[in-house]
Amino acid sequence: MLAGLALAWAGLASVAVAQGSLPQIKQRGELIFATDPTYPPFEYMEKAQMIGFDVDIGNEIAKDLGLKAKWIGLEWAGVLGSLESGKCDLAMAGITITAERKGKGYVFSRPYLLSGQEIVRRKGDTRINGPKDLVNKIVAVQQETTGQFAVAKLGVPKDHMLRFDQVQDGLMDVRNKRSDATVGDLPTLKAILQKGFPELELVGEPFVKETLGIVAWKNNPELVGLVNRSLNQMMVDGRYAVAYKKWFGEPLTAKIVGELENRKSDGSPVPDVPIAAMKELPQPKVTGSSFSFRWEVAGAAIPQLIKGAELTLALTLLSLLIGTPTGLIFALMRISPVKPLNWIATVYVEIVRGTPLLMQIYVIYFVLPAVGVELSSFVAGVLALSLNAAAYISEIFRAGIESIDSGQMEAARSLGMDYRVAMVNVILPQTVRRVLPPLTNEAVALLKDSSLVSVVALAELMRMGKEIATNGGSPTTVYLTVAVFYLAMTLPLTWLVRRLEAKWQPISRPRDGARRLKRVAA
Amino acid sequence: MSALLSIKNLYKSFGRNEVLKGIDLEVAEGEVVALIGASGSGKSTLLRCVNRLEIPTSGEVEFRGEPITAANANAVRREIGMVFQRFNLFPHITAIENISLAPIKVLGTSANEAKAQATALLEQVKLGAKADAYPGELSGGQQQRVAIARALGLKPKVMLFDEPTSALDPELVGEVLEVMRDLAKSGMTMIVATHEMGFAREVANRVIFLDSGRILEEGPPEQVLGSPKQERTREFLARVLNK
Ligand SMILES: Nc1ncnc2c1ncn2[C@@H]1O[C@H](COP(=O)(O)OP(=O)(O)O)[C@@H](O)[C@H]1O
Ligand SMILES: [Mg+2]
Repeated sequence: MLAGLALAWAGLASVAVAQGSLPQIKQRGELIFATDPTYPPFEYMEKAQMIGFDVDIGNEIAKDLGLKAKWIGLEWAGVLGSLESGKCDLAMAGITITAERKGKGYVFSRPYLLSGQEIVRRKGDTRINGPKDLVNKIVAVQQETTGQFAVAKLGVPKDHMLRFDQVQDGLMDVRNKRSDATVGDLPTLKAILQKGFPELELVGEPFVKETLGIVAWKNNPELVGLVNRSLNQMMVDGRYAVAYKKWFGEPLTAKIVGELENRKSDGSPVPDVPIAAMKELPQPKVTGSSFSFRWEVAGAAIPQLIKGAELTLALTLLSLLIGTPTGLIFALMRISPVKPLNWIATVYVEIVRGTPLLMQIYVIYFVLPAVGVELSSFVAGVLALSLNAAAYISEIFRAGIESIDSGQMEAARSLGMDYRVAMVNVILPQTVRRVLPPLTNEAVALLKDSSLVSVVALAELMRMGKEIATNGGSPTTVYLTVAVFYLAMTLPLTWLVRRLEAKWQPISRPRDGARRLKRVAA
Repeated sequence: MSALLSIKNLYKSFGRNEVLKGIDLEVAEGEVVALIGASGSGKSTLLRCVNRLEIPTSGEVEFRGEPITAANANAVRREIGMVFQRFNLFPHITAIENISLAPIKVLGTSANEAKAQATALLEQVKLGAKADAYPGELSGGQQQRVAIARALGLKPKVMLFDEPTSALDPELVGEVLEVMRDLAKSGMTMIVATHEMGFAREVANRVIFLDSGRILEEGPPEQVLGSPKQERTREFLARVLNK
């Protein structure tokens, strides 16, 4: 089965080989940029349009190359990985140039902007005045950004670092007082703080100076050469200055330009390619599949994936443990003749089923603190999953109870049992056997859905996988390994329930059932 | 002699469908009453009103002179056993557990004592060997005998039977009727809705003919079954006996 999966994967990969070689790009006529459009002023969505400094600069580059720019919006964790898989030609997302990223096979253009890591605190929180003060505090960071790396370098322990998908989530966490501070790219923080978060402020000057670059995968240094040419051109002809003024609200100064020129060597060494060369490129060769399972990557990933799987299991089991009895209670309320109980349960179930789990997680994690309820990431995650599962499980139980022949309750009542005794001793034991298969489905769904709580900084299995994949090293290999981990958890569960079902079969099917029904109907 | 059960001016409607239209009936201790009538005439509804599985629309059912109400229904049901057309055994527990469940949970009988009583009851319905069988492993006749033993488990004063042999294959009817006959001989008060006219003639003290929710005719079996006064009764009997 796994071999089949791998094969299918390989097939997909071979179709998707855009791999950004220049001839292919030219034939396509489009230059594909991957980005994470939640990052003002670099790129963000406004009125369903992706706009920002990067978008303007990227469009100009495409124009210089005689191509049309196409932007695809991803989660940050997927942006760099999409280069290797050939889903895009360039990544442009306010990406900091680092030696580490270069070492992993990413090729950077010359710097196109100065940046730096900056601290944000609640207004007037005088405990935090500089990077040294962060060491014993809770710090929110954006997952796999240079902000996270900088905070790690300061010596903040891993369990004091809350990792989020978006800068805004980290800022919200500081506002909600779960985190004491957050660290991120200066231009972005400045832009976001101007629009919202009046209760937060920047702390001094950036404590790490950085430069930003445009990224390609290592098989395409020529493309980066072309990008460099275009950037150099823009600096001279004024297009760069226009974009700078438009998005950062300040004029481009000679000092900034000088510093950018001084740090030109931050970018990767790439060949100079004249733009005219684009026209003489040969027709693309048909490439074979680029897929290969890299055992050394999988092996290195396993210890971290085990950690993630442990958290996934803990989240799932705890949520089932809480969600199942809660669901049963809601089911009993829903079939209760007491009207108010009935209404409460119905409203609850409909609200939970009618809204996305992701939203529920956000509400519990980000909104509850605003009304004074403090929850750790883990507790919030378990709470959200439990409450969600309870709604679905209550429907399973309700259907199960209603599927039990009404003669069972009548027989029990005719023997003098009250409603509660009859429920506990006659109806529910039969219900449990009947709901086991749908309950297993729910457990499996819950195990998979638990990946959604990664948005509140929980490093469960899927998040771990993403992290490793973003960090470089074949995403295909990493995600296949993650799939194996999920299967290793779900398959035994399904198998166990099948065994139980087989064991209970003779009891739930009376031998002369069919005959009996025919006679009654006659 | 005062009646053990008395039904007074009982009406029952389901929505706009009036099913029972003023039933008056007294059942004395030790009496066996056979309830006959066409399908849909209200036999089941009448029996279910007696132990309040259905709530009467108006009128009253008295047990030992006391009206049965929502408040005392659970207590009264311990003294009124019921056997259903479709057995309604609890499929997830064994025959003996089916019998001992109510004594343990309702009367608070100890598990050991309940088990001993259940064993004796299984002997009484001639199923001593099937104590540990699940209902699904028993034939229809065996299931119905376990259901009778289950109803007897609370030592009821009255037993209600709702067409106890209608769901059985013909060859299995005899064994169930035999158990009921023994029960009648032992002096149990019984109301039996049935289409088994032979059984009614032989075992019942009184036969009641129900027609569209009214008692049309009642009397000793020889009279109601032998020389019925009402045309409707004659028609019904002709239909049943010619089958
Ligand atoms: N729970 C119920 N809801 C609605 N109608 C019912 C219900 N139970 C019985 N009836 C109706 O009452 C009438 C008498 O039914 P029943 O007492 O079962 O008759 P019998 O047992 O003599 O065949 C039938 O018309 C039946 O459809
Ligand atoms: Mg009936």
